[in-house]
Amino acid sequence: MSLNSFKRALWLYHINTGSCNGCDIEILAALTPRYDVERFGIVLVGSPRHADVLLVTGPVSRQMAPRLKRVYEQVPDPKVVLQVGSCGMEGGVFYESYNLVGPVDQIIPVDVYVLGCPPRPEAIIEGVVKAWVKLEKAAEQRIAK
Amino acid sequence: MRKLSPEKIVDSFKSALGSDFIEVKIYQREMAIKKNLFTSLWIHVKRQAFRKAVEHICELQEYPHLAIISSSDRGDDVELIYHFTIYYGQHLAELSLGLRVDVPKNDLKIPTITDIIPGALFTERETQEMMGVEVVGIPDSRRLFLPDDFPEGTYPWRKDETGPPQDMFKVLPGRQQKWQQVKE
Amino acid sequence: MAASKGIERYTIPVGPIHPALKEPIRLDLSIDGEEIVDVDVIVGQVHRGIEWLGMNRNNAVQNIYIAERVCGICNISHPFAYIMAVEQAAGITPPERAEYIRVIIAEMERIHSHLLWAGIAAHEIGFDTVFYLVWRVREEIMDLMEYVTGNRVTKAMFQIGGVRRDITEEQFPRIRQSLDYYKSIFNQLKTTFLEDITIRMRTKNVGILKAEDALKFLAVGPTARASGVTKDVRQDQPYGAYADLDIKAITPDMVTGTVVGDVYDRIIVRLLEVKQSIEIIEQCLAQMPPGDILAEPKIAKLLNALKKAEGEGVGRHEAPRGECIHYVRLEAGRETLATWKIRAPTYTNLMSIPTMLKGGQIADVPIAFASIDPCMSCTNRAVLVDRKTNKKTVLTHEELHKLCVEKMRRLKAEFDR
Repeated sequence: MSLNSFKRALWLYHINTGSCNGCDIEILAALTPRYDVERFGIVLVGSPRHADVLLVTGPVSRQMAPRLKRVYEQVPDPKVVLQVGSCGMEGGVFYESYNLVGPVDQIIPVDVYVLGCPPRPEAIIEGVVKAWVKLEKAAEQRIAK
Repeated sequence: MRKLSPEKIVDSFKSALGSDFIEVKIYQREMAIKKNLFTSLWIHVKRQAFRKAVEHICELQEYPHLAIISSSDRGDDVELIYHFTIYYGQHLAELSLGLRVDVPKNDLKIPTITDIIPGALFTERETQEMMGVEVVGIPDSRRLFLPDDFPEGTYPWRKDETGPPQDMFKVLPGRQQKWQQVKE
Repeated sequence: MAASKGIERYTIPVGPIHPALKEPIRLDLSIDGEEIVDVDVIVGQVHRGIEWLGMNRNNAVQNIYIAERVCGICNISHPFAYIMAVEQAAGITPPERAEYIRVIIAEMERIHSHLLWAGIAAHEIGFDTVFYLVWRVREEIMDLMEYVTGNRVTKAMFQIGGVRRDITEEQFPRIRQSLDYYKSIFNQLKTTFLEDITIRMRTKNVGILKAEDALKFLAVGPTARASGVTKDVRQDQPYGAYADLDIKAITPDMVTGTVVGDVYDRIIVRLLEVKQSIEIIEQCLAQMPPGDILAEPKIAKLLNALKKAEGEGVGRHEAPRGECIHYVRLEAGRETLATWKIRAPTYTNLMSIPTMLKGGQIADVPIAFASIDPCMSCTNRAVLVDRKTNKKTVLTHEELHKLCVEKMRRLKAEFDR
């Protein structure tokens, strides 16, 4: 049953926890006809309840931390969390500012880190591929149990 | 509207404000190859004549352009600079006017100008929450950028003891904070 | 009209950039049926404390890289304004060749930003095909920027006293090739956006901002120029190489003959500015003076000079979204800045949003809000306060976007009948 959900393409949901938009436009550039990730069926959806992968950008600001947690809980299992950009990893250039509550993996568990400021669309695509592989492995293990 | 030269503008301020006018600095620079002149005026007035100065600027230019209010913590007082520009809309004609006002720390109040310039609302709200200057008569005194649960009495731009306390900086796990906040 | 004046909360996420580019901002819309009565804008979710970092932790050169990351779309504008402010404060004059290179890079960024906006505006209306096509066209300028500066997004070309990399004569043919490409497709872009019936129906008389309101609420950039207010820092108080070029602020009456101040006018202004940027880059390439590119090439000496400098300066730059201003104060003996104030253009444009949206419909909110090209703080969630009934409904972003697209389909169907 679980393996079937990965025979279809991955659906992504993107949440911005206070980023400068650099990573966001590179994510969109990965979907447009130049890098064209959409030919594999990977789309950005408008609601977390339809998503398989959660894309998080930005250092987490104080106002966005509870919303990030809520969105994470709304994404149905099995899910993978992909964190894009150096801000979420350690704060990037904004490290230890007074309005930031720490890297993303202190708030929600992260599976794949894509680093860069901003990372190129090719790097984001590789991150999504790694997430896909991880999802498939997780599904296999669940079936094997 | 008739355009005045920088010197005439300074004279008109002096005659409108009288003794409340403290000083003026004119900055000029030649730009690029054609050496066109770039002029900006910095006018220092006393707090009681502040609203009169703003009304005088409105006489020089209908709907003057207020870019931002910047504030500096100078120890005993807070210096606010209102960055105006006048004579926009024509090639090479615009003049920057920085209106400087000193507000002592034991009486941090400044009158609002949102009745003259409605667009000053956001920047006055930001000055209120970031520097702790109370803007008297502001129509909407909610916080603008800081979250609602930010502690009261903590002002990020101040350099004295009301700046953000040390426990607000979340040091990353496994790291020592190597820099010290500059406090004067 | 309303019998009971109860307050009802509708949570409507409004995301003008893209359903997934949910940049956090909140709009409180008070509605009466379908019509919007009042709007309240709540910002602050992207507050990272940048000015505080600049004053307490970084020295003046490190702040260039933080200023770049204030906004990823217009990441030349903030360093440009910051560097002009520091140069005015410290009394450093950049060489003329550096001024020309700065202008070339700034205009390339303007082309990229306006094309980005055009794609997203098309998406908000429901024209996804145009969104993909325009972003494909935009890739050409991204390639050019990578060729000239080394990176697509954060270019790090600026340094206090000049620029870090030179644009040499061998690179000129490649730049001209990209500009020719854009000149050849410009007419196609113009026809797609300005002469399409559906875009006209959807954007004319929507989100109107009158000239007097634009002056009172201090609107800047294309938002103000589309309402007839000719504020343009490149024309009024030129800086850098703009002082040698004759730049005229673009207003919509150059195409339509009248100024209305609606979303359609803003599309006109931005498209014509793309053409203007191409012409400016060509002029700069033709007039580029020889010389070096940095007033002080050694960073250690530069930092020393900045530590001893005392003064204040203001830097204003015409970013793609409007006037971007930075104020810097330096104090002798202090490594970090004494005062730093940043004001991005969207900060002032947000204050015109209530006047623009009042009297309109909820389905018009995405396109009207997107037309001011919100950058660093864009809408994420909107809380709707309905003054009529006492019901609580939660509309997701998908539903709001669907409302916007359905209205377009309805209009199209009526027109085709």
